[in-house]
This record gives sequence, structure tokens and C-alpha cells, in this order.
Amino acid sequence: MDAEAVKYLSAALVMGIGAIGSAFGEGFIGGKAMEAMGRNPKYMDKIFTNMIVAQAIDESTAIYSLVVALIILFV
Amino acid sequence: MSNIPEITLAPSIIGQIGPITVTNAMLSYFAVCLLLIIVGLIVRAKLSVKPGRFQMFFELLFSMILDKMVVVFGDEKRARQSFPIVFTIFILLIFGNYFTLLPLVESFILDDGTKILTTPTAHYSLTIALAFLMIGTSHVLAIAISPIRHIGNFIKIGPVFKAIKNLSPKDFAMSMIDVFLGLLDIIGEIAKLISISTRLFGNMFAGGVIIAIVSGLSVYTQFVVPLPFAVLGLLTGFVQAFVFAMLGMLYISSLVGGVTPAKQQTETN
Repeated sequence: MDAEAVKYLSAALVMGIGAIGSAFGEGFIGGKAMEAMGRNPKYMDKIFTNMIVAQAIDESTAIYSLVVALIILFV
Repeated sequence: MSNIPEITLAPSIIGQIGPITVTNAMLSYFAVCLLLIIVGLIVRAKLSVKPGRFQMFFELLFSMILDKMVVVFGDEKRARQSFPIVFTIFILLIFGNYFTLLPLVESFILDDGTKILTTPTAHYSLTIALAFLMIGTSHVLAIAISPIRHIGNFIKIGPVFKAIKNLSPKDFAMSMIDVFLGLLDIIGEIAKLISISTRLFGNMFAGGVIIAIVSGLSVYTQFVVPLPFAVLGLLTGFVQAFVFAMLGMLYISSLVGGVTPAKQQTETN
């Protein structure tokens, strides 16, 4: 296994494994937000806005693994 | 045939002014700041009680941030004290994330093809600088109110001496655990820095890279296919600006709130 092959393989693994947890978390947040919206249709806008913000923060760990993969590939 | 453009993490160097290396990220950032100043002066010159559309757009952003700040800080007076820096960072990031949507911005290129103006927030140097600014502001504000209490929030040796004076082993164990957790908070500050800067950088850089790769796949994918990815980039640009400003505001409010005496906090609630 030469260095180039290991570089590409590791970048792919980093991004792939890092995205799993974030996908679970964002789906969970979305599901709970849907539940709350169904129970309380009057506050739909507020709940939706807060859901978007919470999902953006939840995406952070996937972004960290993306940055690590980019650093492995391009630096 | 696919020609995917060359992607580098570091911004391209354009020139040197004395000891300072001028990169295209720096030039774009100055252009964004200039644009902000011009827009601010235009809006201010035409302020009226019945707002026009341009002023209403900024009032929308204004109320979006101020309402959330009043909820977190407790009362409007303290929210307005920290409001300028949070709102400035918010508008700066909105203009910065959408900078390359202006027509002809990306068309200025040097002889060897490097672009002079790019998305400034897609470079790590800018996001780390902004993160330093926000977190540094929160620490400086907390130290300005009371330095000893602020350092005491991180290195909690006060309760240790109290436990030794009272000679109770249970209190002593709890206070040792508190000392350890306080030291972990110092590492938490560094983690905050890295997290908010990397979140913004990752979102913006990845947006640009996706569009570059999709457009470079073949000549048939250059026209309509990048559209969904471009719209996704628009959405994440606004959301990331909002999240950055909100997190900065939360850091300021939590550090300043940990330093103000409890009596002042409860009477404003």
C-alpha cells in the first residue's frame, strides 16, 4: 500500500464514518420537531426556525470530519 | 472529459505590501467591509418612520437578532450593550457568504488564472480571526466587570479552602472534582474556538467545492445541474451566519452572566 492509496482511502473513510452520527442526530431533531409541530400547530414557525438552527449545530461534527478529509487530501 | 479545477485550502497569494502578504481572501474581505460601509451609509441617509423596502430588510434582520438577545440576556438594556458586535458579525457574515453571488465578482483573474476576489469566509484565516474576536470579546467583557470572579469560575479553589476549613471529607472530594471540571472548562474554551471557526469554514468551503466538482464533471453538467447545490449553498450561508452570531451571543451572555452577582441577575428576570 503506497502513500497515495492510503491517503485516498483514509480521506474516504473519515468522511463516511463521520457523516453517520450526524445523520442520526439531525433525523432525531427533525422527528422531535415534527412531533412538537403536530401537537402545537400555532407555534409552527418558531419550532421550525429553532429546528433549523439546532440541525446546523448538529452538523458540526460531520463538518469537522469533512475538514479533516480535506486536509488529508489537499495538504 | 472532466476537468475538475485545482482545489487548495490555502488562499492564493497576490502580492506583498512590505512584510504583509496580500492574499485574495484578504482582498475579498476588505471588499466586503467596504460594501457594508457603503450599504450602511445608504440606509442611514434614507431613514424614515415609514420604512422603504431596503430599510425594512435591515429592520427584519435587526428584530430577528434583537428578539433572541432580549430572551437570552433578560432585559433590553443589557441586550443592547452587546448588540452591536453580534449584529455586525451577523451582517458581515451574510454579506461575506453571499459575496460571490454578485455578478462579475469572480471574473477578475490575474495572468496565471488565480482569482482576485473569492468568498472570504471560505478561508480558514478569516473564520479563525472572527472566532478569536467573538470569544476574546466575551472574555474581555467578563474580565472588565470583575477579573477575580472570572478566573475563579475556571480555577475553583475557593470551595477547596472552605472545605478544608470545615474539615468535611465529602465537601473536599466534591470541591476537588469541581477544580478538575473547572480546568476542563479552559480546554472547553479552546474547543469553542475551533468548533465555531471550523463549522463556518467547512460549510462555505464545501459549498464551493461541490459546485466546482459538479461543474467540472462534464460539459453537460455545467448549466442546470449545479442549481440545487447552489441553492443549498445559499441556504447554508444564511443559516451559518445566524448560528455564528447566536453562538457568539450565547458565549458573551454566559461568561458575563457568570461574573455578575446573582442579585442583579434575579432582579432583571
